Parts: sequence; structure tokens; C-alpha cells
Amino acid sequence: IGEPVPPQRVEIHKLRQGENLILGFSIGGGIDQDPSQNPFSEDKTDKGIYVTRVSEGGPAEIAGLQIGDKIMQVNGWDMTMVTHDQARKRLTKRSEEVVRLLVTRQSLQKAVQQSMLS
Amino acid sequence: MFSRNHRSRVTVARGSALEMEFKRGRFRLSVFSDPPEDTELQRKLDHEIRMREGACKLLAACSQREQALEATKSLLVCNSRILSYMGELQRRKEAQVLGKTGRRPSDSGPPAERSPCRGRVCISDIRIPLMWKDTEYFKNKGDLHRWAVFLLLQLGEQIQDTEMVLVDRTLTDISFQNNVLFSEAGPDFELRLELYGACVEEEGALAGAPKRLATKLSSSLGRSSGKRVRASLDSAGSSGSSPILLPTPAVGGPRYHLLAHTTLTLAAVQNGFRTHDLTLAGHEESPAWLPLYGSVCCRLAAQPFCMTQPTAGGTLRVQVSPFLLSLPTHICRSPGFLLQETRVRAGELEQAAGRPFTLSISNRYGDDEVTHTLQAESREALHNWMEALWQLFFDMSQWKHCCDEVMKIESPTPRKPPQALAKQGSLYHEMAIEPLDDIAAVTDILAQREGPRLETPPPWLAMFTDQPALPNPCSPASVAPASAWTHPLPWGRPRTFSLDAVPPDHPLGASRSVAPLPSQRSSRSRGLYNKGPLRTWLQSPV
Repeated sequence: IGEPVPPQRVEIHKLRQGENLILGFSIGGGIDQDPSQNPFSEDKTDKGIYVTRVSEGGPAEIAGLQIGDKIMQVNGWDMTMVTHDQARKRLTKRSEEVVRLLVTRQSLQKAVQQSMLS
Repeated sequence: MFSRNHRSRVTVARGSALEMEFKRGRFRLSVFSDPPEDTELQRKLDHEIRMREGACKLLAACSQREQALEATKSLLVCNSRILSYMGELQRRKEAQVLGKTGRRPSDSGPPAERSPCRGRVCISDIRIPLMWKDTEYFKNKGDLHRWAVFLLLQLGEQIQDTEMVLVDRTLTDISFQNNVLFSEAGPDFELRLELYGACVEEEGALAGAPKRLATKLSSSLGRSSGKRVRASLDSAGSSGSSPILLPTPAVGGPRYHLLAHTTLTLAAVQNGFRTHDLTLAGHEESPAWLPLYGSVCCRLAAQPFCMTQPTAGGTLRVQVSPFLLSLPTHICRSPGFLLQETRVRAGELEQAAGRPFTLSISNRYGDDEVTHTLQAESREALHNWMEALWQLFFDMSQWKHCCDEVMKIESPTPRKPPQALAKQGSLYHEMAIEPLDDIAAVTDILAQREGPRLETPPPWLAMFTDQPALPNPCSPASVAPASAWTHPLPWGRPRTFSLDAVPPDHPLGASRSVAPLPSQRSSRSRGLYNKGPLRTWLQSPV
């Protein structure tokens, strides 16, 4: 069903709010979390990091990040096998003003999975 | 540990066959051919002797007090078992020699002696209250005085031990998490509890350098222990009867002292917690004295086999009232059933025309007498049923209140490895010692070595010195002590417990690798990634 589509690259420029640099979205998931409670994942054993909320008008929305996206990498760092806190820290480094995410989307995921199975 | 009141005292007459065997270094009482039970006991005895050798060497190689405490405990348990098994073997041999055999076979009629069924006896949730006095706080000038304690439990010739527990004045009780199971107890069992304690802090001069000591002991243990045994045998011969004292290498290591004891019997069994009296040994000036309150609280459960195992099967046709096929136990567990009020009669052929091979059980329920009549398939079947019922009634009369209901007994969980001591930080961080596993491995390796004793330090000794950890961490699958190690293992299993593995809520540096380290993970998935049931699915803004 559909041709295989590669993961998306999303470049987010952080916004300075007082002392903090924010990206404008929320994450859920992690290897120390209960994956069955993830509303966005296709596979309920998937312990990856997912985008659970995107602030309206924030840097993430501007960059094209969507709710339900699964974050595979941040600036080259793997995000598929991290704890929740590690994921959060990787995204909120004060020294980085730009983060480049590699994400997959639900429809893309299905396609990628099926292309792997066939 | 070697008190003369020990039930398993072994007396060896001078010039006896046993003494000869002993001198030759073989504890085999094989003058006559052994029945299977004796072979099993002999095998256990041989195993304990090997374990003991390993424990001696392990103790000699210990450089730290806590390791020595564990090793000494293992050694003492081995010693107790050896004495117990030897005593039992001797007792059986004497019985055999005196011609006491089993029941004479008889074709008809009930057996001359009816013996009650065996059962499982389990003691668990053992708690011994302590009673600290104010003076305790002043005695040690701020240092936390600590004791290492454990329980030795003996039923028949079986000896089991609890884990070693550390006690200090911040505790109100000594608690043991183990449940200890004895699988073949009679209703006349005597379960003896002995509480042993040792000071954790060094009492006197330290042991010498482990390496030197180990070498000395490995090369000389055989000869010197043999000499001492012979010496004690000689003295035993001259004085008539005194127990054999198996030599313990007391090279400045910790000494355990008997602190208290008690014996529990069938009367103490209850399906719940009960408090029993403890007989305290020693007094305040005794070494390793602990202020015990004088009681022990525990759950002592018993499951006689007559309650849990089917003893008779087959078909019984019920004439009067419906019953389950597991007839005897069902009857006996009916409310109102009184053992004394029960009568069982076999129906004669002429009495019950058309209803041969009947069996009637009468019981008094309050004011009524109820008779149930049951029909067996054949005379032989009827006889078997009668026999089964008589045996059951006898068992119940012996096991008494243990037959009121089936007491739940949980299988003992596998022993956890010794815990790290908070005071010392991660004592077992560099290496883990699971005494049962490791001693067995040591002894098996040693057993494989033939010929003269080793002059060079054995490779496993490196574990206890400051040399770097040995390569090839072996997977810590639980090893049954009796299993043979068919391939030479590089002795040294530096199983690192991930004691400093950082839990998820601690800050992690970005540079730290996050992948789980396979060599550090046990098959039981210890560590930060499998911390039990996961209930959360957190969401965080970034």
C-alpha cells in the first residue's frame, strides 16, 4: 500500500523564553515507561519517543513537527532506546539552539513496516 | 557448633571398622552392602565433605571480614551436616547389624506395626525480638556494633541454614526472610533451632596475607587435619566415648557462638504465627552476646501426606448419599466429623444380599449417627479400601490438628546472593560470592585434581587479592552444587552487580553510553531497565 517513504527530517530552531530555550512540543515514551499507554504507537510494545503535543505557533509546529511523530534521532543521537529523561535532556541542551530531528509518521511507519515484511 | 549435646554425636570405638575407614580418609561405611537410602546418604556425606574442603580454602583466601563471615558460616553448616550424616549412617548400620529389619511379611491380617505417614514441615517468617538497653549506646562510643547471625535448623538428620543477617542496635528484631522446608518429617518430629552469632568487627589480630596463608593451608591441610583427626581418635579410644571434632582452621577468622536454641514439635504447629520460648545460651559477658528478648515468632506449618497425596483410588459405589471419589479425605474433612466416633465395618456377603463387598462408615454428627454404605468392586478392592481407611485414621490420630485443614506451604525461593553492606559501600561490587555455587565449583575443581596437593596458589585465589578481575565473566546461571563441571573454567566470575547503575531519575551526562552492558546483566534482568511493573507513561514539555 503506497511506495516506501523515508523518515522525515525536521529542523527546529529553539525559541528563547527568558532563561530557557524551548521547542514547543511535548514528548512521551521511553524504555522506562509503559508502552501500552501510548496512544500514538501502532505497536503497543514500542517504547520509542513520541510527540504528544505541539504548541500552536511554536518552533516545532513551524518546523513541521506533527503530533504522533516518532522521534528516531536528535542531532545524530539515537532516540529509539533511551529513557524518558534521557530523551528530554537530549532535546533541551542549553548549548544547542538548533535541533535536527529524524521522525517517522504513522502512515509512513506502516508503509515502512510493510515494505520490510514483503 | 560441636557441643556435646549435639544430637548427631558420633562415637567411634577404638579399633572399630569405622575408625579404620576414618584413618584411611574414607568415611564410607561399606562393610555391608548398602540399601538405596544409605547410598543416598553416603552420597550426601561425600558431597558435604567436598564442600567443606572448598569452604576451608575459601575461608583461608578471604581478605575481608564479611567474606570470612560467610565462608565460616558455610564451613560450620558443612561440619554440622557431616556430623549429622555420619551419626545417621552409624545408627542405621548398628540397627542393621543388630538384625532389626522391617515388618515381617504377612499374607493376611493387618500389619503388626502401623507407621504414620510422613509429611512436609515448613518454618517461615522467623522473627526474634531484641531488647536493647540504654547502656548499649554508651558501650561503643558511637561506633555501630554489629553482629552477623544465622539460624541452623535440624530435623532428623537434615540440617538447613538461613541466610546470614546483620544486626545492630537500630533493629528491634532479627528477621529471616527464608522459609525452610523439611520434606520427610514424621509426626513425632523435633525441629531444633539454633541461633549463631559473631561480631562483625575484628576481635583480635588480623589474618596473615591471604596468599601465603592459602598456600600454606592448601599444601598442609590434608596432612595436618589427618593428624588432628587421628589424635582425636586416639584420645577418643582412650577415654571411651567423645565426639569426633572435625578440625576448623581458626586462623584469626570470625568465630560464631551459639546464642540461643529451642526445639519445636507437632504441638507447636499452627496455621498462623505463634510465639515460642527461646532458651538463651550464655550471658552478658559471653562473646557475641546479643540482648535477645527470649522469644521466637514464626509460622510452623505441617502438611501430612495423608492430606495431600491420594492413598487409594478406584471406584466405590455409594448407596446412601452422594460422595466424591476421593472418599476418605472427603469424609474426614466434613464438618462435624469426629475421628473417635467413627466406625468402619466391612459388610459380609450374606448380610447384604445383592450388595457384595460393602463397606459402611458410621459417624456421629452431633446427636445423629449417620451411616454411609459404600460398595467396592471386589473383595480385594474392599480390602484395599479398608486398609487405606485404617491407615488414614491412624495418620490423622498421629498428626492431630495438622489434619484439620491443609496448611499452605510455599516452595522456598532460591537463595539470594549475600547483600552488599551499606557501611562498606559496594563490597560485592567487584565480585559476587554465592557461597553455595562457588564453593561447589571450587570443590569440584579440587576434586578433579588428582595427586599431590597444589603447591602454587590456585587460580581462583586471584579473586581475593588486589589483582585485576579475571576475564570471561561466566553467565551466572544457577548451578546445582552436585553438577559436574566438565570443562575447565577460568575460575573467577567477577559478576558485577550494577550497584552504581544510575536509575532513570538521576541526571545522566550526555556522553554516557546508554546501551545496557551485557556482561553486567544477570539472566534475572537486574538493573535499571527492568525495574518491575511499569505503570507510567510520562509526558514532558521541551
